[in-house]
Amino acid sequence: MLDVEPSEPVARADGLARARQYQAALDLYLRQAEAFEAPAGALCLKIARCAEQTGRRELAFAWLARVCDASRSFLEWSAASALLLRLLREGRPPARRTVRLGLTGSYTTTQLAAMLRLAALREGIDVILFEGAFNQYRQDLGDPDSGLYGFDPEAVVIAAHHGAVELPPFSETPEEAVAAELARWQSLWRTAAERSGARIIQHTIAVPVEAPFGHLTPRLEGSRDTMTLRLNALMGKAATEGVLLVDCDRVAATFGKAAWFDHRYWFAARQAVSLDALPLLARHTVAVLAAGLGLNRKCLVLDLDNTLWGGVVGEDGLAGIHLGRDPPGEAFVAFQEYVLQLKQRGVVLAVASKNNEADARAVFEQHPDMRIRLADLAAFVCNWEDKPSNLRRVADQLNLGLDALTLVDDNPAERALVRAVLPEVDVIPLPPEPSGYLRALSDYLRFEAAALTAEDRSRTEQYRARTAAAELEAASGGMENFYRSLQMEARVRPFDDFHLPRIAQLVGKTNQFNLTTRRYTLEQLRALMHEPTTVHLYLKLKDRFGDHGLVSVLIACRAGTTLVVDTWLMSCRVIGRTVEAEMLARLCELARSAGIQKIQGTYVPSGKNALVREIYGRFGFVQVGEADGVTTWEYDLAAQGPIRNGFIADWAESDDAA
Amino acid sequence: MTLHERLQEVLRTFFNDDELVVTAETVPADVPGWDSLAQVNVVFAIEEAFGIELGDEALSRFASIGELERQITARLKSQGGQRDIAN
Repeated sequence: MLDVEPSEPVARADGLARARQYQAALDLYLRQAEAFEAPAGALCLKIARCAEQTGRRELAFAWLARVCDASRSFLEWSAASALLLRLLREGRPPARRTVRLGLTGSYTTTQLAAMLRLAALREGIDVILFEGAFNQYRQDLGDPDSGLYGFDPEAVVIAAHHGAVELPPFSETPEEAVAAELARWQSLWRTAAERSGARIIQHTIAVPVEAPFGHLTPRLEGSRDTMTLRLNALMGKAATEGVLLVDCDRVAATFGKAAWFDHRYWFAARQAVSLDALPLLARHTVAVLAAGLGLNRKCLVLDLDNTLWGGVVGEDGLAGIHLGRDPPGEAFVAFQEYVLQLKQRGVVLAVASKNNEADARAVFEQHPDMRIRLADLAAFVCNWEDKPSNLRRVADQLNLGLDALTLVDDNPAERALVRAVLPEVDVIPLPPEPSGYLRALSDYLRFEAAALTAEDRSRTEQYRARTAAAELEAASGGMENFYRSLQMEARVRPFDDFHLPRIAQLVGKTNQFNLTTRRYTLEQLRALMHEPTTVHLYLKLKDRFGDHGLVSVLIACRAGTTLVVDTWLMSCRVIGRTVEAEMLARLCELARSAGIQKIQGTYVPSGKNALVREIYGRFGFVQVGEADGVTTWEYDLAAQGPIRNGFIADWAESDDAA
Repeated sequence: MTLHERLQEVLRTFFNDDELVVTAETVPADVPGWDSLAQVNVVFAIEEAFGIELGDEALSRFASIGELERQITARLKSQGGQRDIAN
């Protein structure tokens, strides 16, 4: 229930707002909000309203976004969504990405649409929305001339509920029935891919509470509920890179299915998901959308004392900390085991702690109940400097942006400091009791991923290899010796279906070493692959420290005897070791044998790629044009000869067996 | 805070209007934005705020704020904040 009585200063500010003294009210509200780590949703809303009234749009957008973290209440999300719509009439919000999003479904989606827009704002996504008419998903997706395709969406959410599933209450031939229903959905996905190249975000089917077969249900393959679960599983199997799933059956179960399905609202308004579950559904849907855009977080930075174990190792000693064996200690073990599962699926782990480094290391090396080991960590920063400095150090060591980091820390003061000094870093607030840590982490949605590739599973190892390489660099002196000592080998090949998911992932998320920042979908890349005038190359790298996987992509188009580079990007993990030179060298070889005379390249500033502004110049390209910061460069292959790089050997297929 | 004041506060929040004033005689048509499309949302927001479930009929129509308050009072007595609301 809502707080019945507002606190005295808030009531005073309410009075000021009613008297239209918005500036004074705003000041008072903001001062109140400062006192809380997570101000209540109602207060966030009031601040947003006053900010709107005083013309401070950016402040209003920021506080509307905070409603998403502060509140699960339908009333507050509704009000915030409505206010957002009002603000959008005057212009777009500041955003990391703008997305044309289509929403089509089998039930009333008006409220979900509004909340998706709000949840997206929180993730820095400015959504331009197209909402299909009630229960028109078959037409929206199946008709090539539908309004949805006319809108030219980049992503389409399919909000489906159990009523949309065309399965009988019972089937004697469940395999065939489910296969036919799956084929129906796949055909909709296919039409969408052919017609728009939009990414599909498919809600799986939440299985209803009412079970006519009771406890016989799991034994009856032909019962509708069992078939629906099977359909969900097969959708997961059938989903290509262009289709992302929101696991609605799980989200509904987490929320509580008895409350998720509210028949009163179905009969009154064809609302298949209870209104108070919509904020949660919107957050999960947007988490999947954000992951698809590469806006997810990459690295979990762990505090140590009272986060990974109970107590302070520097004071209590190795034998005195709580870890395993007793109830608070068990909670820390469970938390660590979940952290390791995140690592398994690609989240990079790091430590940033105020501690004596030797004490901290000893726990990892010697404590019998420690689950996370030093080898699981890509960076280990322990000293007595402040947390923000150490987070910066972690980001530097791993060559990640601060906006790739998420800190988990038990100490509210540290969390507040990090929020204030490094707002780019996301912070997971842990509850006071260790037994609540696991849930706090598993509720966190910003580690969602669009797919799981082989690179994801060994990501920490790759980052560790990079850190080791950096340390060797410092020791060896002389860059050339350093490059040689790495014993690098690269495999450069044209795109193929096997590597396309990883290529699409890199194209979607690479920011810093990215000359043009063109975000192609997997479908667009696949189409590109089959165009005869297009040159498309990926580069895989390994060295004596490990296999770095696929780290660079280049796309160029042939126009007569000129080759125009459309896209060139590289993972930041391998900056500073001549990989970029290798890519250009291989491109030159290819171009020469194809009779190309000139290579043309473009740099398009994106706000994040200043790193590569001069890259063409460094390799002897001559600047031939400039407009609005976009620079064009040419390399005369015939006159200047091919670009060479002597530090990376060819990684031949025959080496793979060894 | 009286029930009337609480209801008014819910409506102020819902309609993003700090100055909204309703009386027992106010009907939905008097409140800007309170149309048939909004009705279900408004009723749900009220149910959430008071922790009750109103009758099925309230979802589609009701006469006035005064009538709504009588319904809320009756439900509060019989249900006593049944609906479990987070936050």
